[in-house]
Amino acid sequence: MSRVNTVLGAIPTEELGLVAVHEHIGYGMPGSELDTRWWKTPEERYAETVPKLRKFHEYGGGTFVDATGICNGRDVDYYRSLSAKTGVHIVASTGFVGGDTALPFFARASVDYLAAHFTHEITVGIGDSGAKAGIIKVGVSRGGRMTDLDKRIYRAAARAAKATGVGVLTHLAIDAENAIAIFNEEGLPLDRVLFGHVDDGVNADKTRDTWIAEQGGRIGFDTFGYETELPDPPFWARPRKERLDHFLRFIGGEGRIRQVLASADANCSALGWPGVKGHTVNYIFEDLIPDLRAAGLDEAAIRTIFVDNPADFLSIKN
Amino acid sequence: MGRQSAGDTGAVNTVLGPVPARELGVVAVHEALLSVVPGAEHAFDVVIDRAEVFAAIAGKLREFRAHGGGTVVDAAGMFHGRDVRLYEALSRATGVHIVASTGQGPEEMLGGYFLTPQTNPPTPWPAERFAELFAKEAAEGMVVPRVERRGAAGLVATAATRTGMTATDESLLRGAARAALATGVPVSLRFGGDAVRELDVVLDEGIAADRVVVGGLDRAEAVAAGVPFEVARRGAYVAIDHVGTEDAAHVTDAERAELVAGLVAEGHGGRVLVSSNATGVAKGHEGNDLPYSHVLTAFVPLLKAAGLADEDVRRILVANPSALLSVR
Repeated sequence: MSRVNTVLGAIPTEELGLVAVHEHIGYGMPGSELDTRWWKTPEERYAETVPKLRKFHEYGGGTFVDATGICNGRDVDYYRSLSAKTGVHIVASTGFVGGDTALPFFARASVDYLAAHFTHEITVGIGDSGAKAGIIKVGVSRGGRMTDLDKRIYRAAARAAKATGVGVLTHLAIDAENAIAIFNEEGLPLDRVLFGHVDDGVNADKTRDTWIAEQGGRIGFDTFGYETELPDPPFWARPRKERLDHFLRFIGGEGRIRQVLASADANCSALGWPGVKGHTVNYIFEDLIPDLRAAGLDEAAIRTIFVDNPADFLSIKN
Repeated sequence: MGRQSAGDTGAVNTVLGPVPARELGVVAVHEALLSVVPGAEHAFDVVIDRAEVFAAIAGKLREFRAHGGGTVVDAAGMFHGRDVRLYEALSRATGVHIVASTGQGPEEMLGGYFLTPQTNPPTPWPAERFAELFAKEAAEGMVVPRVERRGAAGLVATAATRTGMTATDESLLRGAARAALATGVPVSLRFGGDAVRELDVVLDEGIAADRVVVGGLDRAEAVAAGVPFEVARRGAYVAIDHVGTEDAAHVTDAERAELVAGLVAEGHGGRVLVSSNATGVAKGHEGNDLPYSHVLTAFVPLLKAAGLADEDVRRILVANPSALLSVR
């Protein structure tokens, strides 16, 4: 029996449907909750979020993977209500977006403690919500190189992934040699790791996507839609055609389409920053899939990218 | 909704609103109520049962009151477990005035929002932004994150890194000083590597020295170097604020009493504060389980034995903290 943890309980992998594999209900840096400039009422939060999820559902979206780390405003009770009311499966993360988003209690913790914490959230639940994490988030801190804390988090994630069978999802795939060395040392097969953000405007040139794929890692083109063509693009934006060409070039490689996942990394309602106006998870349906079809991808290829690959990645392997 | 700040009335901002300074009574000026290492609230093996936390802290506050205590100052800042609604309920239930603080520090204790913001490059917050964040808490009310503002903060508490003030620590200190200047509440600085240099950074912002208290001055190396006297000579308050802690890093209570007597003898009796840095309930760290009454029950006799008159003791426990906490 193959299963995936969602915030409302385990579901059969077959029920995932089309997956947006790297998204955020709402992301904010730790401490942003203290700054009233970003506060919104719950009425505003639901009003900004529910229509996007409902539209995702209507477009045929099945599952929304929330890649928000433990200290980044992750709010599992809220996700449960959103999932129940919209019909979208939501998978929550344990782990951290990067060492620089882990608060002091976790920054000081040992690898063993971090692994125990991640494992608890996957097998017992997050806080007292009863909801179990379905994925482990890790990432590279700002600055371009893995910090010691980043490395401890990667190592703990590898151990928890091995122990529980869930996958690891990375924020950034730069400095991948260090990441892969850790996964290899811990004996985690690299097809359990989705190396994310290989396509963002800041890091794409520095990311060895084909090398990571050759090692057996899964590759995340998951900042689709953060485009320089937007009225107010963020600093990690990239020209639309450049990203699309990068993606098409990548999947043109032998067998690579089996290793690739795609997503929009959009916030339904950003928590500690303005967010990016006009960019939503539904970029996948409104722009990306039409672009892929126009580029000649057939329905089987689209199904591989958005249904089969994420199902294989998200299935608990043990 | 935010409540009224004490404003320019000589009153003190407590969690239940402004209170005339003369009503504070004996003040424990550097303590913590609920003390949570940032992040521990998310930890799988940390349980924070509010009813249990309330009962534990209420018991300690009642014990403090029974020994003559009037006011407890939670000097832990805005991001170390501060729970304003819990403190309101505790104050109402026990009759002890509670003054809570805004501010943060040192750098290591900050969230990534302040250190690696979503800008390119990720430049840490400058003093001006910290000033604005802290001043709003002292003027418009302390935040319950993403929910509401409550009563106004009674002081701005910050700290520098033990191994030496970092650039962001300096921004915190300057921001704290500016917020205090703008709102009339005092600054509490828990010193890091060099108390006098850090105090000078705060004073460089133009705040009067008698609006600043320097904490941690009963650390052994500070006492050995005569730092408490240097701080007092600059006109700032000297907090001997680990009374009851006797370890390698700190002097003993007997030595603390001598230090206080020495400061009084040199004419600094109006600048001395004593407190225990006790934690009502600690989560994610060991805490300091001393009763808030420790100064009253165990340390006051030592002060008297060291030659302090009753009026000196009263000045240190009542008049000095009241003057410090009065909003100017």
